[in-house]
Amino acid sequence: MSTTTPDDVLLVAQDLFAAMVDGEPGTLERWPGPPADLADPVNAWVDAGGAQGVRTVLATDRTTAVALARSLLALGPDEPVEAADIRDVLGELVNVVSGNLKGMTPGTGLLGLPVVVLGPPAVDGALLRESHLRWRGSRLVISTWNLGTRGTTR
Amino acid sequence: MSLRVIIADDSRVMRQIVVRTLRQAGYGDWEVLEAGTGAEALEMALAQQPDLVLTDWNMPEMTGIDLLRRLTASGVDIPLGFVTSEGSPQMRELAEAEGALFLIAKPFTPEVFRDTIDPFLA
Repeated sequence: MSTTTPDDVLLVAQDLFAAMVDGEPGTLERWPGPPADLADPVNAWVDAGGAQGVRTVLATDRTTAVALARSLLALGPDEPVEAADIRDVLGELVNVVSGNLKGMTPGTGLLGLPVVVLGPPAVDGALLRESHLRWRGSRLVISTWNLGTRGTTR
Repeated sequence: MSLRVIIADDSRVMRQIVVRTLRQAGYGDWEVLEAGTGAEALEMALAQQPDLVLTDWNMPEMTGIDLLRRLTASGVDIPLGFVTSEGSPQMRELAEAEGALFLIAKPFTPEVFRDTIDPFLA
């Protein structure tokens, strides 16, 4: 999966959001400014290839995670969004991104099940790629990590 | 043609999206049953004998490919298609070799559903 590029990540994410989040293209683009830390972060990830494989992480802030859950679950503005909804939606989004990136790189092993943490990630590996994206004004960060080089977090 | 279909996916939101997409693809009159694991889908399929099973590949308890193998081993002839996040040639070859009707990769559109499923309804 290390052979994928930031453009691959953007194209995969744009296809995903156009087809399954917004129902129209053009809602997801590169973040126009410099990278910045997320306040109140939510992180979802899927590993491909097990302990020595590649982890794909989708990160955003809690407010955006709630908005994504509301959009995908077609909830009304007054309907509550539970933590389980956020876990389900973020997990499925990163699952699709990871599956598509994995499909571009044969031989990366089996795809694991999504893990979602309402807080910072605990990634022990080397950062391969990081893409900062903007969805309806909010920041999403998609990164890939080589888990085979543990102890080398950035 | 109204069919009875089982949608198997451990993600509630993905089951909801598949149901919505079936409706948008013109299959709004289908009777839909939902299963959250492969094991639940197997039990439901054997009891209900649906016309079609649409299943995720990667699920806890029992994967989609194991669900297909178990259905085949049980001797029932229930058509099954995958709706999954990875559509690599290797996955498609394995799905076909095990007897799956098709593999739809996520993300998908109603048009993809229609173009993929319609030929099997003819």
